[in-house]
Amino acid sequence: MTPAPLISFEHVGREFDEGRIIALKDVNLAIDKGQSVAVVGASGSGKTTLIMLMCGIMFPSTGLIRWNGEPVTTSGAWTELRHSAIGIVFQEFNLFPTLSAIENVEIATFGTGIDRGERKVRAQTALMAVGLGARATHLPHQLSGGERQRVAVARSIVNQPTVILADEPTGNLDSVSGGAIMDLLFDLHRTGGVTLVVVTHNSGDADRCARRIQVTDGEVSEPGPMRVHEAAS
Amino acid sequence: MNHIQLAFRNLKRRRARSILTALGVALAVGSFITLYGLSRSVYQNVQQSIEEHGSDLTVRRRGTAELFGGTIPETIAPRIAEIPGVVAVSGDLLSLAATDQDAQVLAAGWPDGSFYWQNVPLEDGRQPQREERKVALMGIDLARALQKHAGDTIGLLGEQFKIIGITRFNSVINRNMVVVPLTDLQELTFRPGALTFLSVKLAHPEDPAEVDRVSKAIEAASDLSASKSEDALRNDSMIGLLRAVSAAMAWVALLMGVLMVLNTLLMAVLERTREIGILAAIGWSRGRIMAAIVIEGFILSAIGSAAGIGIGVAGSHLLSAIPAIGRFVAVRPTPALVAATALAAIVLGILGSFYPAWLATRQSPAVALGRA
Repeated sequence: MTPAPLISFEHVGREFDEGRIIALKDVNLAIDKGQSVAVVGASGSGKTTLIMLMCGIMFPSTGLIRWNGEPVTTSGAWTELRHSAIGIVFQEFNLFPTLSAIENVEIATFGTGIDRGERKVRAQTALMAVGLGARATHLPHQLSGGERQRVAVARSIVNQPTVILADEPTGNLDSVSGGAIMDLLFDLHRTGGVTLVVVTHNSGDADRCARRIQVTDGEVSEPGPMRVHEAAS
Repeated sequence: MNHIQLAFRNLKRRRARSILTALGVALAVGSFITLYGLSRSVYQNVQQSIEEHGSDLTVRRRGTAELFGGTIPETIAPRIAEIPGVVAVSGDLLSLAATDQDAQVLAAGWPDGSFYWQNVPLEDGRQPQREERKVALMGIDLARALQKHAGDTIGLLGEQFKIIGITRFNSVINRNMVVVPLTDLQELTFRPGALTFLSVKLAHPEDPAEVDRVSKAIEAASDLSASKSEDALRNDSMIGLLRAVSAAMAWVALLMGVLMVLNTLLMAVLERTREIGILAAIGWSRGRIMAAIVIEGFILSAIGSAAGIGIGVAGSHLLSAIPAIGRFVAVRPTPALVAATALAAIVLGILGSFYPAWLATRQSPAVALGRA
């Protein structure tokens, strides 16, 4: 029996401003566990809305979203998924300015039921995985843009998620730092088996993904052949 | 890191605002303790003052709204003394009197042979002899404040009195009171034959039924009301007014403190909209986000309350140090009042932080993150 897709959209639509703005129209797609997917499209086409729907930060106006075949309809269920199965990386880093790098990572582990000591170990391990083990006690303003985004990536993986949703993760970085962040995300995908969904404007980054989803004026299509770099698992 | 440490970090980010809020709570708690302590202390000090004279029942004019407000004729005392169960009766005339040093003091006029004289603890000097006039016993605190000693004189209501003794009562009122012969005070206040109230000593003050029987007998034999000394102030309108005003001011102060906590947290929530969105994005539940805000409210209230206890105790001593107040009342907040006030401030602070906390969870994470 074929396993259910990790994430599936069934006739999902999203409107804003009481229907005056249609961000996504009748989206049907399925993402399997371990895939790498690039979401591409022009600014304002609906890419971010798609990602926000995938992690339950935004709810669909119509249609149904399933995780592992199970419909997810409540904010509580989405919260639990974001806590345990979804890691999110934003363009803006979104770190807490008064918390050190390790604390910014550790904060994602609150409520996981593991003790403080173990939480700290996990946070340190995640920081080491992104190459920032030696900068754990630095505050965000003491880190470069690339390092801050690495902290954000560490935060996204600290709870060992099934999927990382990255919304233009290199958008605020120079090309060198941006390239390093993408290398890091693909390493996590390749070596850790984590599913990777990346919103990007960079065709090179998109080419590194096995799938490319094109969003155009709220409509989703999937052109082009499958590429390499599937996860080990 | 835990939730408490996280809350401290957030509060430290806006250090000045957090300190000012905690200070506001501290002042509110301090005001509450001081004002409530003042109203309670007035009641307790007057009661202690009456009891210290050995009085079991206080008899005063029926319908008088305040203890010092009415006068009764001293001729009624012998009739009450004849009631079975009554051991002794003493009249007491009270008046605020200006001294020749421009101080206002409480002057009491006691009749010859009053049982009051039996309970006077003398620090120095002697008691007046029968029929002795224009002599005074001065409370030890007043004597110290006015630098008077036995053998000195003091002007009261324009008349000179010889201080023949210094008394060492326990209650602050009695320690600041001047006792003179009843006749002298009646003359000086133009109230010949008048008393402020009568004090009655009972044979069996420990028997409530007997106390009640004698009280009813007194009331039946005269147009006066009799009540146990601890009840004498219960219906006193002046004391009631003082207590009501103090209580109202105290509660207003406390509620202002709570509003400060609410306002601070509300501003913090509005300023940290994005951060709250991030917490939601990384999987924090609404309950956990609410708890994080409420913990900040708890910390502000707890620190403010702790500081407020110090302010309240210090404020009480400062009030007592003001001569116009300290001569009549020693403001001493009880541990129970202090504990209850601090606890109430913390509970109210927590309750006050629920609204901003609730508001924090109401916003959509997408909106908070600027994604919608």
